[in-house]
Amino acid sequence: MSDLFAFKGAEGAGWSQPLPSLGVDESWSTVPESLRRSSPPGWPRASEPELVRHYTWLSRRNFGIDTGFYPLGSCTMKHNPRLNERIVQLPGIDRIHPLQPEHQIQGLLAIFFEMQEMLAICSGMDEVTLQPVAGAQGEFTAMRCIQEYHRSIGQGHRDKVIVPDSAHGTNPASAAMCGYDIIEIPSAADGRIDLAALNEAVGDDTAAMMITNPSTLGVFEPDISRAAEMVHTAGGQMYYDGANFNAILGKTDPGRMGFDAVHYNLHKTFSQPHGGGGPGSGPIGVKSHLATFLPSPIANRRERVEDDPTGVGDGYWYVWKEVGESSIGKVQQWHGNSGAVVRAWAFYRRYGRELERMSEHAVLNANYLRHRIMNPDSDTAARMHAMPLDGAPAEVVKHEFTLSMSALKDAVGVTGRDVAKRLLDYGVMAPTLYFPMIVPECLMIEPTETESKEVMDRFAADFHTILSEDPEIVTTAPHSTDVRRVDEVWAARNLVLRHPGPE
Amino acid sequence: MLIEMGMSSLDELFSDIPEDIRRDTPLPLRGPQSEEEIWADAQRLLGANVSLDDRPSFLAAGLARNFVPTMVGMLATRGEFLTSYTPYQPEVSQGMLQAMWEFQTMVSELVDLPVANVSMYDASTAAAEAITCAVRVHRRKSSQNNIVYVSMFVPPQRLEVIRNYTQGSGLEIRILEHLEDGHIDMDSAAEAAGCCAVYVEQPSAFGILDPGLMNLKEIIGEETALIVGVDVVSLGIVAPPGNWGADIVVGEGQPFGIGPTAGGPIYGIFACGERYTRQMPGRIVGLTSDVDGKRAFTLTLSTREQHIRRHRATSNICSNETLIALMGAMHMALLGPRGIERLALRVASATEATKRAVTAIDDIELINPQACNFREFAVKLPGEASDALAYLDAKGVLGGFDLGVWWDGMSNCLLIGADERTSESDIETLVAGLSSWLEGADS
Repeated sequence: MSDLFAFKGAEGAGWSQPLPSLGVDESWSTVPESLRRSSPPGWPRASEPELVRHYTWLSRRNFGIDTGFYPLGSCTMKHNPRLNERIVQLPGIDRIHPLQPEHQIQGLLAIFFEMQEMLAICSGMDEVTLQPVAGAQGEFTAMRCIQEYHRSIGQGHRDKVIVPDSAHGTNPASAAMCGYDIIEIPSAADGRIDLAALNEAVGDDTAAMMITNPSTLGVFEPDISRAAEMVHTAGGQMYYDGANFNAILGKTDPGRMGFDAVHYNLHKTFSQPHGGGGPGSGPIGVKSHLATFLPSPIANRRERVEDDPTGVGDGYWYVWKEVGESSIGKVQQWHGNSGAVVRAWAFYRRYGRELERMSEHAVLNANYLRHRIMNPDSDTAARMHAMPLDGAPAEVVKHEFTLSMSALKDAVGVTGRDVAKRLLDYGVMAPTLYFPMIVPECLMIEPTETESKEVMDRFAADFHTILSEDPEIVTTAPHSTDVRRVDEVWAARNLVLRHPGPE
Repeated sequence: MLIEMGMSSLDELFSDIPEDIRRDTPLPLRGPQSEEEIWADAQRLLGANVSLDDRPSFLAAGLARNFVPTMVGMLATRGEFLTSYTPYQPEVSQGMLQAMWEFQTMVSELVDLPVANVSMYDASTAAAEAITCAVRVHRRKSSQNNIVYVSMFVPPQRLEVIRNYTQGSGLEIRILEHLEDGHIDMDSAAEAAGCCAVYVEQPSAFGILDPGLMNLKEIIGEETALIVGVDVVSLGIVAPPGNWGADIVVGEGQPFGIGPTAGGPIYGIFACGERYTRQMPGRIVGLTSDVDGKRAFTLTLSTREQHIRRHRATSNICSNETLIALMGAMHMALLGPRGIERLALRVASATEATKRAVTAIDDIELINPQACNFREFAVKLPGEASDALAYLDAKGVLGGFDLGVWWDGMSNCLLIGADERTSESDIETLVAGLSSWLEGADS
């Protein structure tokens, strides 16, 4: 066990800082006595080699895509190309201040502009801002734009946002943060939009409907245009949660489906690494009627004229464009997670107009894995305590699918959680568990396009094995991990949220 | 794979998309590129940017031109950290969970408050969500129950973020006045007594350290949350707000762990007293044990969060800035208790040295001559700040920030930032540039 606060070496002075050269004593005396810190923070006293070992030790106790298959549904855990990490180390992004004048950041503006254009094209939207730094912040930003739009046309009384019961939790949370009331509508028996329920819910108070398509069940909503029409007829706006964009890129787009606003998860679809919980990047695209409400600034360009410096050499001069008076204002203080945008740009460049291939392979992989899991050979099937059930009855799924473990639970008392934990023993990450909530004992599986047939065959075989194993082994899994099942209740009751410190 | 599924083409997999909404033409985008070509384009495009390290720079305005130890980037980008998701499965995520628990501890120690979360998006969203958190705690007992006071010198972009995040809960934001000397107006503070929360910054946007803030909690009272935005580096020498009554401390974590990165990804710190724990936004890691009694870590208090509580969640935050917080943790651990003090002293001394040299120039005045500054100070020029900056730019110096961009009536005010990397020769270059600009302006 490596404990950061157990390092009690020499007090040191910070691993390798140069000696002060500008008269430290004087500056110390300028800080009024009353304002001075009386004792230093209880931080570790460790050397670089100690810390390198500490963090290397920690990293070995952490599972990433690099460690193994990561079929975490809804999270699109695809391979993160290493080139992208190398690019963001360049001083032209790492050592840039967001308030530098335009002529010093032509390259950054050019990348921003290219990404805005590309995202608008792929989604069928008119204008894009890259400022929101996470999917949830994208939702929030777009809902704020819709709110101000309604206020601007005398429809400020619209205070209800409709979300399906299968929606990501961030949808209702983001709308509620804007001040909206939430109407949650039940899904139909097959997991799709219940148009009758939607019809009940829409009205003169409808501000918007928030929905993702394909749905969180991984199934394309065939009635999406009809739903959009109902919401629009009632005077509401349609918001597209882009969490599942990886399924449809190049095949259709939210604009065609009738949406007015959309967010993209650059950390899903465009492979910004998720880093244990972030950073993300959640740009939004909107139709033109919402564009004047976006946060400022947005990258723009004009033809280069003779007096302009060279720029990036493409014949354009890049500028920041202020959105204007009706803008909702900033949602992040600067220009968003520029580093994530640059990584996503590098990812996009690899595909270019062939982004469609990415979605094709993501959908192919999901359907193949589902097929393998749902169609074991007869010997294997005979050994299994129970077959998983489809979360949604569908001929084809999109980039992910859901399974219900309720038959297994009924047969031998093994829950979805048990299966998920047992998968960890097989060296893969557990699928998303118990989401969407409308599927009992749900496992949500998303292989992404970057996994091979062999990986999926292995996963399906392991899955079948687990469903055949002694239930005792499965319900007490995992057995081979760094720690076994942890006591989350104790953690929440006792709230030990920090190290007691060095003595 | 298709054959195994009994299919003949990929198109069958998309047959569920109704024909009237299918895209039938290829995306009008450029062709694909190889890794080699992308690298060349990235070098060309990003190489067209001017990096802060290319020239003397006095631009801070809330971000730090820092030096990040080499170890940080190398270890944080180990694939096990870099390519993991939120640690929903603690059994295989102990590394990141422990690292974040240690991060919480170091932030808690730095600001002197017992609880810290795993990060917010940036200082602005941390400030905004601190306000909504405080309101949830104080709304019922406060005597001005929908009112929050915010210092008049909070940068306007940050105020915009705060307004966006608070408008939904029907809060009224009132402005806490400052006096001519840059310090908080205590009469204005007295009016804030009994409101839900007061948000101030130490140092202020002008880099001013205000000793008066240390009496603020007493003035506003127990039922009003004191929220303090900090420069995290300053806390190496400046009394931590937890020490003088702050209930919540937020700030830009960026100086620890990552370069300014054109404004993101960076991370906000968020720490608070125990009274606020259950109303906090963001992920929190707690200590526990596994079934064998072995020490273990897990995400905790998830019942506050959107994936459980949905529209009743304390925040919509899901993805945060964990990896950058990890980089921050590594940087903090490398500094250690004496290293942070020395780093703060270096910044303070660079600020003081720059301030003295600049104000020695005739016709340039400090806006708040009596104040003690950390990292930044504001000066009044005899001409437009934008003009001075353009002149300096042509001489290869990033001279600071034009305060007229933030506040009307301050277009002849320049915000100058110094840091641990400011050298004697940087200062000389700035002074020479400003002096020759003034000569030009005179003639």
